[in-house]
Amino acid sequence: MFFIAYLRRELRRRMRQAVFIALGLALGVGLVVTVAAASAGVSKAQSGVLSALYGVGTDITVTGGAPPPHYSSAGSTQPSKATPPSKNRDGETLQISPGGGAQICDNGHCVNAAGRTYDRLVPPYREPISASTVAAVARLHDVAAATGVLTLVDSAITYPANPADSPQLATFTIDGVGPRHTPVGPLAAATIRSGHFFTPADSHANVALVDSGYAASDNLKTGSTITIRQVRFTVIGIVTQPQGTSPPDVYIPLARAQTLATATKNLGGSVANTVNLIYVVASSAADIPAVQQEIARRLPGDIVTAAGGLAGQVTGSLSSAAKLTSDLGTWVSVLVLIAAFAVASLLTMAAVGRRAAEFGTLKALGWPTRRIVAQVLGESLAMGIAGAAAGTGLGFTGAAIIAAVAPNLSATAPSSTIGSMQQAIQAGGTALGNRTIMVPLSPSVTIGVIVLAVILAMAGGLLAGALGSWRIARLRPAAALTLVA
Amino acid sequence: MYKLTGVTKEYQKGRSIVGALQGVDLTIADGEWLAVQGRTGHGKSTLLNLLGGLDQPTGGTVALEGTILGALRETQLTRLRAASIGFIFQTFNLIPTLSAAENVEAALIPLRVSQPGRKARTAAALDSVGLADRSAHLPSELSGGQQQRVAIARALVKDPKVVLADEPTGNLDEDTRDDIIGLLERMWRDRGLTLILVTHDTSIARRAQRTGVMANGRLTMRQESPTR
Repeated sequence: MFFIAYLRRELRRRMRQAVFIALGLALGVGLVVTVAAASAGVSKAQSGVLSALYGVGTDITVTGGAPPPHYSSAGSTQPSKATPPSKNRDGETLQISPGGGAQICDNGHCVNAAGRTYDRLVPPYREPISASTVAAVARLHDVAAATGVLTLVDSAITYPANPADSPQLATFTIDGVGPRHTPVGPLAAATIRSGHFFTPADSHANVALVDSGYAASDNLKTGSTITIRQVRFTVIGIVTQPQGTSPPDVYIPLARAQTLATATKNLGGSVANTVNLIYVVASSAADIPAVQQEIARRLPGDIVTAAGGLAGQVTGSLSSAAKLTSDLGTWVSVLVLIAAFAVASLLTMAAVGRRAAEFGTLKALGWPTRRIVAQVLGESLAMGIAGAAAGTGLGFTGAAIIAAVAPNLSATAPSSTIGSMQQAIQAGGTALGNRTIMVPLSPSVTIGVIVLAVILAMAGGLLAGALGSWRIARLRPAAALTLVA
Repeated sequence: MYKLTGVTKEYQKGRSIVGALQGVDLTIADGEWLAVQGRTGHGKSTLLNLLGGLDQPTGGTVALEGTILGALRETQLTRLRAASIGFIFQTFNLIPTLSAAENVEAALIPLRVSQPGRKARTAAALDSVGLADRSAHLPSELSGGQQQRVAIARALVKDPKVVLADEPTGNLDEDTRDDIIGLLERMWRDRGLTLILVTHDTSIARRAQRTGVMANGRLTMRQESPTR
């Protein structure tokens, strides 16, 4: 085909310039691809952090408000002198004797703790939320699903027989969840590695699911047993949560969690038929603000948080990286692209100027201007396609380099988040601090980005060709031939 | 074939206006060979550009077979050039990246001739100028005379009614000049072309049927020459 043969020969004749233009476009496009890949990686990391802090697929969470002043520190193993130790159903409390030795007291009868284990089940330092409230939230307009969870921490202190040895503290986190596998809640994104999820028949059974990380560290597998507040639970499944999340160690049926928590009676009130956390999914992203507002209106004492708002509160190097990619990265990419487009356009214009005689001759031969323009546009487009291919390659390389050299990013979330609350409970239950999560930066080049790269490079080529074409269209054949003379 | 009436052409040069042609009246018969002589800058090439529809007169009319070129749109002029007018330039004006055959074929592109048709006509045209064995050569691989032969083949491949040659031997040595003029004369005779040839060379001009001399933008007819 004459068009292709002419195009190929011309590009070969101006090989150095063609390569220069293509490389310029490739540099711009490569930078765009790299920044887009880094941005996607940061977004993925942010999403991972939000999932870790918030729960995969969750739009809104509701946690109980601050407890009244009489509310005691349920998890404290060292009650203050002003507050006598509360008694649970078993009548057990842990007291430190004036001599410094630990005693486990049961209905006023105290025994030396040496050789014994003091096991406490600690709900969070928040007001419980009733099951009816969960149901009411689930019925709200624009709420797709809502589920209540009771988060607990099992804290067991084993005192060695020899008082000279240090006591052993073992804690693990527990989520009491509904027996049905729902698209919202702590198990929504979990996959079962062995065994099976809960079934409705497990509602009141002493069965548990164990997170794969905790199972590995405690050598647990399906069929193993774990003890929670002196009750043995059979492990029926090992679950794996998405990377970057910080799941609880153990999941048990909600009803069993409520029963065990009630049995401890250390909240200053019953937690029967209550939860301390509601996961909410809105019907659509656009509905989230309205749903959040409605829940806050109905539950004025509780804390209602939306993932969007939480994202803005995340600080640390992840936040800096997000700003870097969105601000500096984008602007550098845009500037390099503009420079590449400008260089491509100028070189094409100059080339058209040098080829004025050629185009004048073609016009004298009777070539319509549009045919000559198509020829020049074809050449520019070919350079754009070469730039797109090279730019995509550069982008992949840039993304690979970032993945290889970028350190893990830290994300610090405010204390009102779920994960932080659980962490605070583990730390003693009295103070809720910030929580920092380390997440890897994994830039990813998507098909969409590649398409964007190709479009950008071709647009650059076409822009350069269009400017050249504009010059050709203005070229008078006689004037062009005079240039020859 | 051509009828020029009171043709003027002015150019803006800085703040002044230069009159390249000043009231040229000329009639060129169908199949005639007209040579145009004159010193550099006296309007020979301007006249040729107006005859080829490459430029528009400032005043007067240029009519080709009754059609006033100045009244045509650019697309119509382009079509007219593609179908009816062959150009031969002093500097050959071959596309440097295309082979001899492709340069000749380029003249058939705007005529929408099928590819096999283009190939056949190109081969015949190159054969007619004695370059059948050089069809795959690039212009840079050909001598000046051979390049001009390719340019002649390119001008003739579309069977034009008129060939406009602007000093076609200006860049050639004497022997090659004679070859090229001989070739052009043969083509003119064989094909019944109208040939308008601009030249400095009086010996070439003498071979034409008529010779006009351009001086200060005015054309004066000098001689009648032998018929075909």
